Amino acid sequence: MASQSSPGRFRVTQLWTSGRWVKLIIIFLLTAFAALMVYPFLWLAFGSFKTGSDIISQPIQLLPREWTLDGFRLVWGQSGLPRAYFNSMFVSSLIVFSTLLTSSLGGYVFARLKFPGRQLLFYFILATTMVPFVTLLIPLYLVMLDLGLLNSYAALWIPAGVSSFGIFLCRQFILGIPLDLYEAARIDGAGDFRIYWEIILPLIRPVLSALAIFSFLGAFNSYLWPLVVLNNQDLYTLPLILVQISTSMGATNYQAVMAGSLLASIPTIVVYLIFQRNFVRGIALSGIKG
Amino acid sequence: MAATVTRKYQASSKTIRPWHNVSGMGVSVALLLLAYYGVIFVYPFYRAIWLSFHNWDFIVDPVYVGMRNYDHVVRDNYFWQAAKVTAIFSVAEIVIALTCAFLIALGISQLSSGFLQRFYLGLFYIPVVIPSIVSILLWRFLYLPNDGVLNGLLTRFGLPQQPFLNSSDQALWCIIAMVVWANLGGASIIFFAGINEVSIDLLEAAKLDGAGLWRQTKDIILPLLRPIIFYQVVVSVIATVQMFEQFYLLTGPGFSTRTLAVYTYELGFRTLNLGYGAAVSIFIFLFLLIATVIQFQRFLASRD
Repeated sequence: MASQSSPGRFRVTQLWTSGRWVKLIIIFLLTAFAALMVYPFLWLAFGSFKTGSDIISQPIQLLPREWTLDGFRLVWGQSGLPRAYFNSMFVSSLIVFSTLLTSSLGGYVFARLKFPGRQLLFYFILATTMVPFVTLLIPLYLVMLDLGLLNSYAALWIPAGVSSFGIFLCRQFILGIPLDLYEAARIDGAGDFRIYWEIILPLIRPVLSALAIFSFLGAFNSYLWPLVVLNNQDLYTLPLILVQISTSMGATNYQAVMAGSLLASIPTIVVYLIFQRNFVRGIALSGIKG
Repeated sequence: MAATVTRKYQASSKTIRPWHNVSGMGVSVALLLLAYYGVIFVYPFYRAIWLSFHNWDFIVDPVYVGMRNYDHVVRDNYFWQAAKVTAIFSVAEIVIALTCAFLIALGISQLSSGFLQRFYLGLFYIPVVIPSIVSILLWRFLYLPNDGVLNGLLTRFGLPQQPFLNSSDQALWCIIAMVVWANLGGASIIFFAGINEVSIDLLEAAKLDGAGLWRQTKDIILPLLRPIIFYQVVVSVIATVQMFEQFYLLTGPGFSTRTLAVYTYELGFRTLNLGYGAAVSIFIFLFLLIATVIQFQRFLASRD
């Protein structure tokens, strides 16, 4: 079928015969809406280079009246930000790595391998997504307390290290890979693990990219759980330290809070840019579409 | 095309060939997952239920109280106030965000170059990529009553200043606006991917029959997107009900923005009322379960 689009490649079709002016109106509306969406972040980004009084002086102005790096100097030098930066990057990387590993392994095992209780375990893992994290919050805290893991990287890592959603996503994706591929590999004498490593992993890259973005954002944004299990400031992640900065410096040094916020946004933006090439494709191909 | 792919999935999942009987790799991965979910899910979930039947303040030993915690929850005005805030937030956020996201995706799908499509999707996705804590701090600045950007803009256009987060009527809507802003781009991409999958043949046939913008959207695109919309709603309900820091850090006066999640946190970690907090959190679970089951039923019914 010539007209069949490959999913995720941006297809350009005109759904309806629209005149040039209709298209212009669409572009105008989209641009206006997009400007509204982007403006707050631009204000933050430029605000980081303003002086404190510039930020609040009326009338509101997007660009700094006077460019300065004061905010960055203040926030980098006089807060736990550098340390929190490391903590957040370290823990989020661990979480992304273990999520991708366990999701692809789990997805493969549930989609293609035989073992007793396979269906049952899969539906159980799916069912766990129905229980909200707040319901587990208090007892999970108690588990960490019992294991002596409060105030540790492990406490941040373990509850987020495996993703039920990720396992589900990978399974759906792997079920869609033609069986011929397995049979060919099997005839060549490949075992389960080699098929996983050499056939499955390369083929599910798009879905793993999407998953990497999701799990990195999730880990990096996590606020409630670190708030509960950490009170040692050396282990604070960026969200915790940013709130602390905004409490201690926010009343007087807006520019420092804004500079800190801008610095904290860099990792998520970079991760998104790295993985986004496959992102829409991952979404289009995954089970998300039902 | 979406339909054929789904059929392929279903068919292949039933026809797994018996290459071997039991896979060693399968068993090992399954055992690891079982152990993990035992520690991280089964035991804590059991413990949550157990706690909800006890009173415990972390100091004196837990005391069994039967159904008393549940009894209190049902009569607790603070609980119902929090439930109301959570429900209003969840419904309003989802309706507004998904409607806007669909319109955006539809608009972007009409652009005539892949570059422009990517460009606009990227712009709408920026707030999703910004860490949520940064959005919260940023919007707190925007909402500042005296020096804030929004009041500055209002003044410039000759409009009266607003109290925003300082008003118990406006605070919740301020948070809704922020969360819509932060989440819109994600739903837009998913809708766009869905619209992208709609068969061109179908649309061209409809176009030949004289179906315009409205008919194509209503009779072809929306029905085909129903599984995506359903999925988005289910996932958004679960996500919005659990949101925490948005309310914890952008607090309105009194209890105007205290959700069930914040209430649970306060009971568990502020007032150290662990048993009662667990009971409240079990109610959150039940609400979500009921909401999801109803949505599934309606979705399945609408397919017949």
